Amino acid sequence: MDAALIAARGLDKTFGSVPILRGVNLAVPPATAAMIIGRNGAGKSTLVRLLAGLSAPTAGEALLFGAPSRTLESAARRRLAIVTHQSFLYPNLTARENLEFYAGLYGVADERAEILRWIDRVGLAAAADARVRTFSRGMEQRLTLARAMLTRPEVLLMDEPFAALDGDGVALVADILREAIARRCAMVLTAHQPVTIDGLKFDLYEIVRGRLLPLSGDALGAPVRAQQAG
Amino acid sequence: MAGFVAILRKDLRLELRSGESTIALVALSLLILVVLVFALDPVGGVRDAATAAGALWVALIFAGMIGSTRALLAERDNGCICALILSPLDRGALYVAKLVAAFIFMAIAEAAAVVLMVLFFNLNFDSRLLRLAPVIALGALGFSALSTLLAAISGRIRAGDLLLPLLAVPMFVPALIAGVKASGAALTGAPFGAISQWLKILVAFDIIFLTTGYLLFEHVIGED
Repeated sequence: MDAALIAARGLDKTFGSVPILRGVNLAVPPATAAMIIGRNGAGKSTLVRLLAGLSAPTAGEALLFGAPSRTLESAARRRLAIVTHQSFLYPNLTARENLEFYAGLYGVADERAEILRWIDRVGLAAAADARVRTFSRGMEQRLTLARAMLTRPEVLLMDEPFAALDGDGVALVADILREAIARRCAMVLTAHQPVTIDGLKFDLYEIVRGRLLPLSGDALGAPVRAQQAG
Repeated sequence: MAGFVAILRKDLRLELRSGESTIALVALSLLILVVLVFALDPVGGVRDAATAAGALWVALIFAGMIGSTRALLAERDNGCICALILSPLDRGALYVAKLVAAFIFMAIAEAAAVVLMVLFFNLNFDSRLLRLAPVIALGALGFSALSTLLAAISGRIRAGDLLLPLLAVPMFVPALIAGVKASGAALTGAPFGAISQWLKILVAFDIIFLTTGYLLFEHVIGED
């Protein structure tokens, strides 16, 4: 079995005296998707931030590509993309300018063509030259996906990627995830409730009182189903 | 290098589009100089030039704090700072890009402030202003270097905007004294030797602030 690209070992996170995550263990090898569900405030976003290295664990370690995520080398950071509740987009730049900026930052090859392809792919061709501050939440989420996927990441961390998206948007995310898995991307997604995507199998976990528990399909309620983009 | 260029180009594009920093810096410089010119009631002569130099540096310091804060504040919108931290760009290069952006905004404000100073303090547009240029440039570089680092620290904490001047001004005092003295000497037409001793101090502080900022930025930027 391939070594895990995303891993957590005994990960604890405490805010003040409040424990948010306790002893979280996780291993996500290439071409694997882990879906983590949990209620509001369960610690899903905190776990994503810890895995990305944006937040320091109280105990334990978060690893990406086998190295501590807080001190990743530049070359490893180039292979990582993250989608969070914050879009990481500049409101006073247009959709195209935002992608140009990130393409420059990551040294994306054939930058112009890739930007055009992703703007078209996420259905924002008509709004490519509109400033992001005029976008709806759903449009911003679509551009966020384009921003993340533009760099062809090998590790993808997505905090509630289906939030704010309409049916077409959810199908778009589903397509993007299928493609990412096909090129052996390792990913962690969070959601309030399980989401099923045709042609994609998730390792399911739930955060309960700070602990990450593996779930079987039988333990789930009715999952939300993402259709094929069409 | 491509990442550095991308950040600098983005910052300049955002500024050209909104003009937020430059307009605020120039307006603040104008306000400070107007207040000081009436408070000090300058009359002609050498004392005018020395007073003008002091007024110019007061404007420079306050404008510099706004410039540095703005350069990093834009990155707090929508969590963009997290994207920069996770990007392949070296943190030192990120520091230099933000510093250069702050320096450019500050230099524009300073150019306007110098023109206003000459008008308000009854000075002449002559070769003495050319001798003032390296003093102001070194001062702006040093203050941008210091305040960019401190803005990264203060941006992480509540009421950080209040903390920035409390940290930046005392730390900049030695360079400030050297800058005021060198500017006064330049404006009074003193020989270059009288200016150069203060310039050396400014260069020394610039090296200290730049090196410290470059080395420490990666430890202070970020969330928690």
